[in-house]
This record gives sequence, C-alpha cells and structure tokens, in this order.
Amino acid sequence: MTPTSITSWGFIAAVCLMLGCQRSESSGGQSPLVVAAESAAAKRHPVVIRKPPVPQGVPTATLDPHGKPVSLQCSACHRVRAANATTAQSTDLDEFHQGLKFAHGQLTCISCHDANDNYSSLRLADGRSLPFTDSMRLCAQCHGTQFRDYQHGSHGGMTGHWDLTRGGRERNHCLHCHDAHAPKYPTFTPVAAPRDRFRPVVSSGVSHE
Amino acid sequence: MSVSPHITSPYGAHRTVGAVESYPRFLWRSLGVATDGNWLFYGWMTLLTAIALVGANAWAVQVRDGMIVTNMSDHVSWGLYIANFTFGVGLAAGGVMMVIPAYLYDDEEMHELVIIGEAVAVAAILMSTLSVVVDLGRPDRFWHLIPGIGKFNWPMSMLTWDILVLNGYLAINLHIVGYLLYMRYLGRKPNPRWYVPFVFLSIIWAISIHTVTAFLYCGLGGRPFWNTALLAPRFLASAFVSGPAFILLVLRALRSTTNWEWSPRPAQTLIQIIRVAMAANLLMLFSELFTLFYTGSGHAAAARYLFFGSHGATGLVPWIWTAVTLNLVGTALFCMPHALERGSVRIAACIMCIIGIWIEKGMGLVVPGFIPSTLHEIVEYSPSPTEWKVTAGIWAFSMLVLTVLIKLIAAVHSRRLHSTAPHLP
Amino acid sequence: MSSGQPLPSLPILDQEPTGRRGFLKACGATLGLAAWATALKPLTEWAQDVSVEEFLQKHYRELKPDEKQAVFRRLEADCKQDHGVDVTISDPQAIPGVQFAYALNLSICIGCRKCAEACHIENNHDRATNNSYIRVFEMVMGGIDFEKGDATYDHPVPQPGKFYMPVQCQQCENPPCVTACPIEATWQEKDGIVVVDYNWCIGCRYCEAACPYHARRFNWEAPQIPAEEINPDQGYLSNRIRPQGVMEKCTFCLHRTREGKMPACLEACPTGARVFGNILDPHSEIRWVVENKRTFVLKEELGTKPRFYYFFDE
Repeated sequence: MTPTSITSWGFIAAVCLMLGCQRSESSGGQSPLVVAAESAAAKRHPVVIRKPPVPQGVPTATLDPHGKPVSLQCSACHRVRAANATTAQSTDLDEFHQGLKFAHGQLTCISCHDANDNYSSLRLADGRSLPFTDSMRLCAQCHGTQFRDYQHGSHGGMTGHWDLTRGGRERNHCLHCHDAHAPKYPTFTPVAAPRDRFRPVVSSGVSHE
Repeated sequence: MSVSPHITSPYGAHRTVGAVESYPRFLWRSLGVATDGNWLFYGWMTLLTAIALVGANAWAVQVRDGMIVTNMSDHVSWGLYIANFTFGVGLAAGGVMMVIPAYLYDDEEMHELVIIGEAVAVAAILMSTLSVVVDLGRPDRFWHLIPGIGKFNWPMSMLTWDILVLNGYLAINLHIVGYLLYMRYLGRKPNPRWYVPFVFLSIIWAISIHTVTAFLYCGLGGRPFWNTALLAPRFLASAFVSGPAFILLVLRALRSTTNWEWSPRPAQTLIQIIRVAMAANLLMLFSELFTLFYTGSGHAAAARYLFFGSHGATGLVPWIWTAVTLNLVGTALFCMPHALERGSVRIAACIMCIIGIWIEKGMGLVVPGFIPSTLHEIVEYSPSPTEWKVTAGIWAFSMLVLTVLIKLIAAVHSRRLHSTAPHLP
Repeated sequence: MSSGQPLPSLPILDQEPTGRRGFLKACGATLGLAAWATALKPLTEWAQDVSVEEFLQKHYRELKPDEKQAVFRRLEADCKQDHGVDVTISDPQAIPGVQFAYALNLSICIGCRKCAEACHIENNHDRATNNSYIRVFEMVMGGIDFEKGDATYDHPVPQPGKFYMPVQCQQCENPPCVTACPIEATWQEKDGIVVVDYNWCIGCRYCEAACPYHARRFNWEAPQIPAEEINPDQGYLSNRIRPQGVMEKCTFCLHRTREGKMPACLEACPTGARVFGNILDPHSEIRWVVENKRTFVLKEELGTKPRFYYFFDE
C-alpha cells in the first residue's frame, strides 16, 4: 500500500466516523448530506437535506448572450481591496452589491463573510472559515433554538417518510425559506379560500366590508 | 265457523262474529268510512294529497340530486327537517296530555276524548319519523338502522335511543287507538287489562320521547347553546302547550264537522294545562337567557345571534321575535277566560302557541345551535324551496293520516262504523 | 248486504246504493296511485346507480377478506365506469405499536393554505367547492379567540398582528362523533385514526353536529373531479371518491401514513410547522415536541383528548 492510499483510507475512515457520530440530522458540509446512517437494529433510510442555494459570485451589469448578468468571483475585487469592518448596508458601498437589501439585525458584512478569504467563504463567530455549502452551521450559532427545533423535525419543510425504517426523507435547508440577508419569511398570496356555498360572515377584528 | 265471542254486543247484535274474521272486516270497513264523506271532506283530502305529492316529488329530487338542493351546509348541518322533527316529537308527547287527567285523576269525561289525543300522537310520531327520513343523505341504507340486521350503536348513541322510544311510542299508541276503536266497533266494553297498563306506559313513554330528543342536543359538549340541563324540561313544558293546543283545534274541527257533543270540561282542563305549561316554559326560557346574557360568556354567542344578530347577520332575529310575540300573546289570551269563550279567540290562541313553539323549538333552537359554528364562523341558514315543499308534504301527509283516524273515531263513536250496523249510507 | 259472507269484501264494492260512488272511489284510488308514482319518479332514476351488491354490502368490519376484495374490485370498476380512470383501492391496516399524533407550530405557520390545497388534491375532494379537511383561520394576536378568526381571508400572508391556525380533525381519543353515530359507520382504529365507512353511513349528520372542531364534511352532492386530476392511489377508508350523501373526514391520510409516509398536508407545508409521527416511539419528532414544547389542545375542557397538538415557539 502506498503512503498516498493509506492517507486517503484514513481520511475516508475519519469521514465515516464523523458521520457515524452524528445521530440525527445535522448541518454537515456535503450536499446532499446523508445524516441518519444505518443503525445497528433496524435499517433506517437516510434523511437528506436538500442542497441549499450557493452564491455563484456577484452579478455585474454585463449580460451574457442569454440575457443573464455575468457573474464575477468575489475575490476578483476583494483580493485588491481592504475590508471595511463597519459596512452594514449596501448603501454604504460605492460599487457592487447596490441592490442588495439587508435586514438581518445588527450584523455587518464581515459578521458572516470571511474577509481573510477574500469573501469567498463564510466566517464563524470564532473566526474560523466555513464553506458556503455549510451555511447551516453559521445560522445555527445565533439561531440555536431554531436549529434545535430543526434537528427535532419541528422547523423546516420536509417530504418523505415519518417511519425511516420504511423510507427516507428529504428536508429543506435554512436558505430555502430564509434569505440570509433578509431572513424574514416573505409575504405572499395564499392558496384560494374554500368556496363555501354560504360564505361565513367575516367576524375578524379587521373590517372586510 | 269460528269461535263466538263471550260478550255479545249490547247494541243488539243480529249475529256474532269471530275475532279472526271480524278484525279484517273491521279494517276493510274502516277503509270504506275513511274514503267516504261530503265534498268538503273530499276537497280537504284532495288538497292534503296534492301538497303531499309536491313534497314527495321534492324529496325524490333531493334523493336523486343530493342534499345540495337544501340550504343546509357543513356549518348548519341540520335545518328545517330536524326542526320539524323536534316539534313533532313534542306534539306527540303532548298528545298524552289528555291521558294524564283522564287516568291519573280519574276524570271520567276525559275518557271519551283520550283516543283523540292518542290519534294526534300517532300522526305526530309519523311526522317526526318522516322528518328524519327526509333528512338522511342515504335513505336507501335505512336498513342499517334496524337492530339485528344493521348495526345499532346502542346504548351509546342517543339517536338509537330516539329510534327505540319513538317506535315504541308509536306501537303503544297504535295499540291503544286500535284496541279502543275495535272494542267500540264490536260494541264491547274495552277490557281495562288490555289497555290501561298501556295508557300508563304511554304517559311515562311520552315523557321519555321528549327527554331523549332533548338529550340528542344537550348531550353535545361542542354546542354550548344546546349543552344545557334545562333543555329537556323546556322541551316537556313546551310540549305540554303545543299538544293540548293542537288537540283543542282538533276538537273544534270535530265539533263543526260532526254532531259529536261533549261537555266543555275536557277543553277547560286542556286550557288549564296550557296556562301552567306555558308559564313554566317561558320562565325556563327566561332563566336560560338570563344565565347566558348576564354572565356574558362566549356561550352567549348563539343567543346573541338569535335575538339580536351578530356581525351584521340577522337571519334568525325575525323568527325568534315572532315566536316570542306569538307565545306571549297566545299565553295572554289563554289567561283571559272570557275572551276564550269565543271560538275564534280560542282558535287564534291555539294557533299562536303552536306556531310560536314550532319556531322556538326549530328555527329558534336547532338552527342557532349551529350559528356560530364550533369554530365561531357565522354562516346563515334559511330553508330552501325544496325544504319547505318537503316539510309541507310531511305535514299534509300526517294531517291526512290524522283526518282518517279522527274520522274513524267519529264514525265508531256515532256507531256508523259498527259490527252490527248496516253498511255505509 | 254482506252479512254471512265468509270473507270481507271490498268496501267500495259491497254497497249497491252507492255503486257510482264506489266507481268514483276506484277511479280516485287509481289516479292517486298514478300521481304518487309520477311524483316519486326521480327515485327510480337515482336507483339505477345503486347496484344490488352496493345496497346489500355489509359493514366494513364484518366483511371477510374475500368479500373485502370483491368490494374493492367493484369500487375500482365503478370508478372506471363513472370517471374513466384506473384506480387502486388499498386497505392498509393499523401498524401494531403505532399511535399517530400530530403537532402544529403556530409560530411558524404563515397561513399559506398549502396544506389545505394538498389535502384537496390528495383526498379527491370536490373541485367546485374547493373542499378540504383543513380550514385555516387567520387569528388576532393576543389570544386564541376564534370569534375574531377568519377562514376566508384573501390577502397576502402573513399579516402583521395576525397568526394562523389550521384546524382539521383532531383524531380525538374520546371522539364525540363516534359516540353519536347511530350505526357505527364511524369508529376509531387501533392507531387512533377515526374513520368512516362511506358505504355504511346513512348521512344523518349527527356526527357533524357532535364534532366540536368542524372537522367533518358532508357530500351534499356527488363530488366532481376531472379524470386527469383524480388521485388513483386510494384507500377504502380514506381518500377514495366518496358517494353522494355520506360523511367524510380527515384520516391523517391513512393510505399514506400506514405505509410509513408523511400525510399530504405535512409534505406541502413550506415552513415545517407540521410535525407528525408515532407518539409511542420515544425517539420520534412528535414525541419530542409533546415532551419539550408547551403544547395545548383545542377545547381541552370538553374532554375529547385530541391527538392534535398546537404549540408556539418560546
């Protein structure tokens, strides 16, 4: 066995161990991530977290032949610019990110974006860098109760089986519902109301007349 | 050819008839009497038949097209049919009001008229049963209700109790009416052993049918407007008004169409019953409303909607105030003995009380139980033309049966229908 | 005179003096019968759709296995004939050791009615009425007061100052609807689901009056669904197309959940406000919610013991 192969086997073993330790769903980096592994007793099907949207750079004003804006890598600009630690709104900026709406508490850009990595990755509160694909851990460091609820299946949409011995399950990622920059759930038009033969007299506090 | 009865007719029988042979003959001849009369009678029967036909057709269409032809909904899932059912049970229970003074207090003069109360009870039970049948979404599955063949959720479901007591009551009253008529027809004195126990049973049973019907509603915890212990006593009190009032009207009709004479005392007894019962009914209604409105809890929502309207919805307000007015005026008239001497006033008072109680128990009790709904939605209800047609048809058919019964009673009484009497004139 | 005749003769015939009247009576009787037959004619049109097998079908719980199969095949054939669609009628049984329970997080429900829509599609509801076993109430913050609720809202959600409360069958442990039914057409299964045998129900709607949660629906007419929209995976006790004139209700999608799947309303929920599972499993999500969240049930004072819990996030 070559030294290379030993290292790679060791890496695989470590990954397996890591996965084995994570009993239920977690915020692992790989996507789709297999979290609920086979248990010794009954065969349990996996719970898969759907791949979250990952930023593919920053759109520019230039359009490609399909009419879509051409993206630039973050590092294309940020490699040559020093980070401003106090920037918290796109209006503070002279260029780029102009249309970005930001409504996420008192955070600034570098609260979550890793300036040391030219903004190509995320940054945990302790300064460690985090790939965009692993964003759930970033969210979880502040939104612990939501993350706990998520882990216990009482937050975030899902499809599949309640009985994991019979089949697997797919779960939404935080970012499927929450825009990281403006995480409040958006307002939208609901599905049509039931068409009762005799419409109830609206008794709500708000007048509908 | 058959065994002769031991007791021969005191009316001078020219032959003796065996029971086996004579009972079918009695029925056949009854049919003859029932279909015989003057033009007023034929007109009345034709009118009732016509209305019954309209109702039957409306019901058949309802079965074919679904209950969508009614104005009931998932919010107000019972309407005019069950309202009418509730009133009918009350009327049936009220029919025995004549029985109580006649037998409990040995009021001899009442004995003559007891059979009329029983006939009213029979017709009213028929009306109640039909009202339930037309309310069924799947009348073809009626056999599921038959104990032994279907599945009878007894004793848990109050509806099974209701089916038992109503059918039992019908059987008891049919037996009493049939037996008394038949004995009179034979010219024999009825044997008390064959009917007095049943009369007492029918008194208890009358109370039970209306109590059980009240329990249908007041046993439902999810419907606060019904969920009151006063419901059964209120039902009984109002039945003690509508029943005797209806019987008074029947007596009126009998007096003006036959030459049957009787003393005014039974009618006086009935009027006294009405006075007391109506006072008790109104007191209980007031007590109910006081509890609801004074505490002002959420339970008052239905009563508020009923009496004053809610969130701009006032569908039942005219109904209930009509009922309150009719009941109060009717009661006032019953409390004026001099005015009551006049036939027209007496008829008006009876009709007022009957309509007042019909509304109070139906549109004023069954329907507001559903408004607001269990999730406090206000969906209004007013009966559809189909519901009115079917209900009118049921009334007409029951009146038809009552007319025939009363006619037979009168014919037997006047000895036109008699085992020894010559055939019809 | 008929005196001495061995059998009673027809009263309309045995009176010589009134032969004309007797004749008229006979005419009247004939006319009357004809009139009744005409009035009730719609019944015969309707009766053509009810087969003898359907009329005589026994209660679900009294059907033997082979009789059940015959019923399911008949219903499939009926559906093919009536709607032109091939469907499968399944009959999954309660799983031993499983008691279903449901919880709903009111803090994250946004009132989008996706659950009601999913129910509508999954359970083959009538299209015209947009029927669904779920009714979503827009409630005023500050209390759980249905009197201020509104289930017919039609504006963007969520509205400020409002929260949203979907209500469906609470699958009570002590169900008043089951007690009310005079013919045992509705009962509670071993896994806690209250079901209706649509072929046994007589449509008296006493259960609908008894239910404190507005959970039951009546088929006021035969449901209408375009053939291409019919969900062909049907359970006998759950989402098969219901006949006219019978009650129906939420069954926690037992044709799905008894196969281990989530109910349709849960899968449709975009926010994950809904939690479903086996309350007897100590590791289940539903068990965690009930043990760790401050849950409540609707109308607890009625003693119905719902298996449907509501909770708010802290």
